[in-house]
Order: sequence, then structure tokens, then C-alpha cells
Amino acid sequence: MSARGGTPPRPLTGPEERLAPRKSGTANDGAVPPRARSPRQPRRLKELDRFDGVERAVHWSTALLMIVLLFTGTVLYVPTLALMIGHRAIMENIHVIAGLALLVPLLAGVLGPWRQRLLADLRRFDRWGAADFDWFRRPARRHNLSRGKFNGGQKAEAAFLGGGMVVMLATGSVMRFAPSRFITLATGATLVHDIGYIALFVAVAVHVFFALGRPEQLKSMFSGKVPRAWAMRHAPVWLEEIEGSKRAEASKKEGRDQASSSSG
Amino acid sequence: MSEKSTGDGETELHGPDLGAHPAAAAEPPVERVTHVGRRTVLGIAGLGAVGIAFGSELQSAAGGALTHVSNALGGLGALVPGADEFRIYTVTGSIPTISPERYRLQVSGLVDRDLTLSLADLRSMPRTRLVHTFQCVTGWRVPQVHWEGVRLSVVLDRAGVRSGATALRMFSGDGVYTESLTLAQARLSNVIVADKMIGNDVTAEHGGPVRLYVPPMYGYKSIKWLDRIQLLDRVIPGYWENYGYAVNGWIGGSA
Repeated sequence: MSARGGTPPRPLTGPEERLAPRKSGTANDGAVPPRARSPRQPRRLKELDRFDGVERAVHWSTALLMIVLLFTGTVLYVPTLALMIGHRAIMENIHVIAGLALLVPLLAGVLGPWRQRLLADLRRFDRWGAADFDWFRRPARRHNLSRGKFNGGQKAEAAFLGGGMVVMLATGSVMRFAPSRFITLATGATLVHDIGYIALFVAVAVHVFFALGRPEQLKSMFSGKVPRAWAMRHAPVWLEEIEGSKRAEASKKEGRDQASSSSG
Repeated sequence: MSEKSTGDGETELHGPDLGAHPAAAAEPPVERVTHVGRRTVLGIAGLGAVGIAFGSELQSAAGGALTHVSNALGGLGALVPGADEFRIYTVTGSIPTISPERYRLQVSGLVDRDLTLSLADLRSMPRTRLVHTFQCVTGWRVPQVHWEGVRLSVVLDRAGVRSGATALRMFSGDGVYTESLTLAQARLSNVIVADKMIGNDVTAEHGGPVRLYVPPMYGYKSIKWLDRIQLLDRVIPGYWENYGYAVNGWIGGSA
């Protein structure tokens, strides 16, 4: 797995900085019972960083634009509403501007120097392991799966929304900007855009529905944090990623400390 | 942690080599990873591209069947993509309701005599019927629409077009929409002032009681709620043309 080229030196986990012991040199670190620890050296955080500020900003600005797009799109597409609300030129312009603007948050998030965590999560969406396939194959046993930060359903939703946005941007651009001699392409694009509208409407509804039923995860899109207890139950592999690399770091540091003390 | 099935026990994670390779800690080494995410995105994008390229043909083939589906669904039928159905566009907040009795078409500008035609006047003039596909510039179309009305050229002849007139400016009863045609385009034999459509009087949402129909051009040229025709010495672009649509809206044209 280390074949993943270009992996940043310490990727994927955020909270380890804050987990790092301030004072090193306590050789029997793991043996001290939690009650006896100084509050400055918590063994475990009660909450884990799930999304950083960049990810939340990208999410919410994209969400806002999606709401605008779905609303104006519905008015443009559903005849009853098109008749009731009318103002087609205004609706179209809002729709097109919001559609083009949809690129901005994601591109800004992915291209800026703040992209680390967002990219890591996009990579997570991309990479499917056995647990993700099993999430679909054996719905009854989902709670037993060794799940990472995102489950198979979430990964599928992310890929579906991502692909959908690409298609809507492409077809919408053809509809709006292709010269009218390309009416055949515009006709195809309209058909795809219409189908995509229905599919994305459903996908967004599913996303919102599941989010509302999962308060810890919903809150984490506001606060960025998720309770450690949630991760233990729902994302044990992710928890292990964080705490495992934390332990590895601590033991490395410990080893360095021991080495320096023995030489002194 | 003990119930984990992947075998990466805690002891393994304590190993110093893993500290040097945090990437290995991120994904359990024994697990095979498939790039389903990017494949899905690319797959959907590919489907979209195929749809842009062949959607028009697909719609020609399946539009009739989809129309049946759409009709069977009743109120929800309008949501069926690809069905051969009209979409009702209006650029104002509501559609104008104009009573057939009080309807008047005015013709003015560079003409010998200003005209004010009632619906009865129009119906007493020579009638033309035609069947043609209605094609919207945004890509939807309705094949085999039956139209009936009076040739625009007949109306123009009755008013008497003065020399110097080269274009028509038309105004919609919605108070906002306008359209243009050159005089030559307006005189094409299949350009009609329609008061019947799909076998009935033109309904309010389709632009009734009287609208224009310009078969060789995109739907935006076929102004609805036709209220006033003005003859001018130059083309003044219409409503959508100010938003960048071609002034000469030939279907498949060069604009």
C-alpha cells in the first residue's frame, strides 16, 4: 500500500497534533491509569476531528448552490411551476450562474494550500475495500463491518453526486453556450440534463434524509467533530488510523528519547 | 478493536516501520483496494457524453413511448424526460388571459392602412393548415403538431406593406416579449398567424387566442399571445435575441 506515490508524510489524520504528549520522557506512558493522568496529557480525546474548516466551507457553499440549482431547475422544468412563477429569463440566469459557481468551492478547496484533508477524504471516497462492497452485499451485517471513515453507501453517494455534477455542468453548458446549429447536441444534452435533474434530486434527498437520521454525523458537518464513541461503533478502522498512527508516533518519540538518554 | 477481521492488530501498528510509513497505517496492508469512486464518476460522465451525442436519436426513437408513459402518469407525467411534450415557457410572472371576444391583432408602421383584426376577421380570411415539428432551441421538440390559421403574408397584404419596410417587430400580449422577422421571412408560405393548434383553439398557455408559428425556425420565433405587428425599415432583435439567441433562428441554422 505504500506504493501510493506522493502521499504526504503525515496524511489523513488531523487530531494527532493535539494528541501528542506535551511532555515526553515518561517511559511507561501506556501503563499509567487514565485517572492518574495530568489533564494536559489526555490518553484519548472525547471527540475526533472529522472535517476541517475547508471541508465544511466547501460542503456548505456547494450545498447552498445545489439548493439554488434545484429550486430554479424545478421552476424551469415542472410546467405547473413554470407557469406559476414564470420569469424564465431571470430563472435561467440564476440557474446558469449558480451552476458555473458550483465549480468554485470544490476547485478552491482542492487547489489551495489548505487542501490536505479534503484531498484525503476524496481519496477515501475513491478507494473501496471489502467492507464497502459488503456494506451493499450484506445489509444485515453492516454493524460488523470494519468500516473506515466513510461506509460504502456514503462512498457511493459521493461518487454519484460527483459524477452527476460533472454531467450536469457539461450538459448545461451545451444547452446554454452551444451555437444553435448544434441543435442535435442540445437535444441530447437536454434529455440527459432532465434525467440528471431527477437523479440528482433523488440523490440529494437521500443525502439529506440520511443526514437527518444521523445526528452525530450531521453535527460533525457543523462543528467538524464527532464523538469518539461514534467512531468506535461506526468507523473503527478510521479510529485505529488516527490512534494507531498516534501511538506509532509516540513510540517513535519514546525511542528517540531513550536513545538520547542512553547516550548522555 | 479485537473484533476487527483484517488482522492488523495493535501490536503490528506499534512497529517502528509503520511509523515511518503512515500511509500503510491508513489502509490495512492485506486489503485490496479498488478505485470504485473515480470509476463511477468517469462512468457517469461517459454516459452523459454518450447521451449528448446520441440522445437526440434516442429521443426520436423512444419519444412516442415516453409520451405514453408521461400521459399514463397524469399530473406527474410532465416530469418524464424525453417525452414529446410541450414545455410552457413564459418570461413574465404569469400567462396573459385574453378573451377571444375581445382579442384584436393590430398591424401598423410602414403600411398603407393600419389594421385591427378580431378573431372573427382572422377566421374569415383564407385558412392554411399544416403539420410540423415544433422545435425548441433548448432541445425539446414535439413532432407532428397540427396548426391552423392565416398566412402572415395574407395579413401583410391586407395592410399593404409600403416600400422601405424590411422587417417586422411583433409584440406579445404579455407586455414584455417581442420578436422579429425580416419581411422575406415573414412572407414564407408556411409562416402563419395561428388560432388553432393540436386540433383546438390555441390555449392560453400555448399563446392563445392567437400566436405566430414559424416552422423553419426555433420556437422562440413563434411569438405567443400575438398582440401587435409593426413594420419597420430595420430588424430590431427580439426578447431572447437580446440574451444571445440568433436573430435568424433557423433550425440547425448557421448562427
